[in-house]
Amino acid sequence: MEHQNDEQSKQEHCSRKIQVSKRELETVFDAIDTMICIVDNNLSIVRVNKKYAGFVGHEIKAILGKKCHEMFFNCDSQCADCPCLVTFQTGEAVVNKRFIKKNPQEIRYFEVKTFPVYDPSGILIHVIEFIKDVTDEKRMIEQLIRSEKLASIGVMTAGIAHEMNNPLSGISGTAVNLLEKPEKYGLNDKGISRVGTILESAARATVIMKDLLHLSKKNESVYVMVDLNRLLIKTINAVHLEGAGEIQKKFMLDESLPFVYCDPSRIDQVIMNVVTNAMQSVTEKKQQMSAEGKKYTGRIVVSSQKQAATALITIADNGIGINPDIRRRIFDPFFSTKPAGQGTGLGLSVSHRIIEEHRGRIYFDSIDETTKFSIELPLESAGTKIKEE
Amino acid sequence: MSSSVNLKKYRILVVDDEKAIRLMLLDFLEEKYTVRTADNGDEAWELLKKDHFDLVISDINMPGISGPKLLSEIRKKYPDTRVALITAYNVDDYVRVAKENSITNIIPKTVPFNFTELDALVYGLLNGDVFGLGKYLDDDMTVLDSTWIKSSFEARDARERVVDVLENKFGTSGDMKLIFDEIVTNAIYHAPTLNDGTEKYQEFSDVTLEPQEYIYVECGYDNEKYAVSITDYQGKLTKETVLYKIDRQITGEGLLDDSGRGIHMSRLFADRMIINIEPGKRTEVILLNYFSHKYRGYKPLYINEL
Repeated sequence: MEHQNDEQSKQEHCSRKIQVSKRELETVFDAIDTMICIVDNNLSIVRVNKKYAGFVGHEIKAILGKKCHEMFFNCDSQCADCPCLVTFQTGEAVVNKRFIKKNPQEIRYFEVKTFPVYDPSGILIHVIEFIKDVTDEKRMIEQLIRSEKLASIGVMTAGIAHEMNNPLSGISGTAVNLLEKPEKYGLNDKGISRVGTILESAARATVIMKDLLHLSKKNESVYVMVDLNRLLIKTINAVHLEGAGEIQKKFMLDESLPFVYCDPSRIDQVIMNVVTNAMQSVTEKKQQMSAEGKKYTGRIVVSSQKQAATALITIADNGIGINPDIRRRIFDPFFSTKPAGQGTGLGLSVSHRIIEEHRGRIYFDSIDETTKFSIELPLESAGTKIKEE
Repeated sequence: MSSSVNLKKYRILVVDDEKAIRLMLLDFLEEKYTVRTADNGDEAWELLKKDHFDLVISDINMPGISGPKLLSEIRKKYPDTRVALITAYNVDDYVRVAKENSITNIIPKTVPFNFTELDALVYGLLNGDVFGLGKYLDDDMTVLDSTWIKSSFEARDARERVVDVLENKFGTSGDMKLIFDEIVTNAIYHAPTLNDGTEKYQEFSDVTLEPQEYIYVECGYDNEKYAVSITDYQGKLTKETVLYKIDRQITGEGLLDDSGRGIHMSRLFADRMIINIEPGKRTEVILLNYFSHKYRGYKPLYINEL
């Protein structure tokens, strides 16, 4: 009698332990951030975790029994070089597979690892697929590479700008001499006029070169008291985009705006980012209107205002506006309305970060087709005013 | 600026590997002087062996021997020959090199090139005639105001006068108010010394100067710029001190202390700062502001010690 009770309680004890183990594993299974899908040798799904179900957008019950290529890729046929099949054939894990899934909105990248599952008698019955969404990682690495490239271009830019100074100085200096004493060089009136044109062109080239030099300066974070009005004018006039010349720029700046304590090169970056977006929006609108045969004048209005405790800068444009469905994503990293390859989608997220670091605010309004970005920076009661160079 | 026939006796050598620069400097300078050009250091030496030169102007970055080294060697061999550097790059990056080679003038290759400035510099280097606003403003210049500062109290007055006269005439005085104070403070408190070399007057104390310590201020303009000249008749400043202070400020070493702040701020806030020194006799600081940002480029280094 006792012996039977002992056995029974041992069995109950084991059973309980198995139950607890099972619960733990299930919890782990569903808590894992990677998608897990277990298939049999027909590639039919026998088990998935919550992450997988959430991604494909179906209840777990509805997924079981379906083929994994059907669920994940909406595809009737097996994937070319399916790693599960390789694992079934070789009995070995496959750890280096990448897949691309294209949605109407975007492309996402996945890393797949497959592992064999043997039953107690050593027969390969299932394969576990671990599917990880590596899109953000991939984009970040791409961004890093691009940044590295930009950094090295930045260094080169400074060198190029410097190198150009020499011939530009020669061109303008020679032109000045010709204009000072035209008779020495046998110049007639027409010649004098043309040499004047050479001088003007050289002056323009120098302005662009100076802007390049300014942009390629090192990016150390230094807070000083800044004349925002001057910074706005300087920065906006330095944006050399195709078509920028045709855009009307209006400045409505508050002369009484006090100096603001901030990092001028970072605020510069934010202004550049917002203005570039505005200009591109206006240019796109112009193309649209041209295609429809309608007249259109692109306009950007920049204003500065002293508020109670903040300085307010606004940049408004009459471009294509911001679609209501994407408004909440504007400041997301990697979010972009431009086609792949143009821009990184990081501009506004970085700008947002910069303004946050300054304990300010950046926000926007887009009504009909007027888009207005607002930047608020705190006005400190500060020490001595040191004017920006 | 007076132009006399006997200026042709002065021989100037221009060394630069950029043809347009050589020719434009040649075209301009040969109006008054005798000028030769060379592509690089080796060619320069060829010419120097054959003829005497009173002034050598050299580019800094050239293939072969660099400008500073070339000029340094020239001065060792021909101590009477004056030298100046010219560059398209940031002059600040070469202040240290200039200091090490005892070169005190670096001309920037601005766009457009500033021939008026070159003219004044060359004339001063050849002649030793460097003092006074008249050397740096056009012949048709106008003097707006001039005054003597005889006490620390008068210094404040003088500053207000200069600032007022500039504001009235041009609607602006740039940062003159700031810089004027710095330079005059130096002249009042740091120039006069006792026999043992210590400063005679305590900084910022009320001071009545002795006649030899009076400071002369002059303000004038021409059609492209206005200028203020501040002269003390002690002549205690040395070119080494000025170079040292400028270098410190550029490298950031001196940012936290007062030493050299006047010179640093002048160079930072005025378009041009020219320092003329007649050792033991007088020191002049000229501050110059252009009406328009016509000459784009880097700020020069202009220190003349006779």
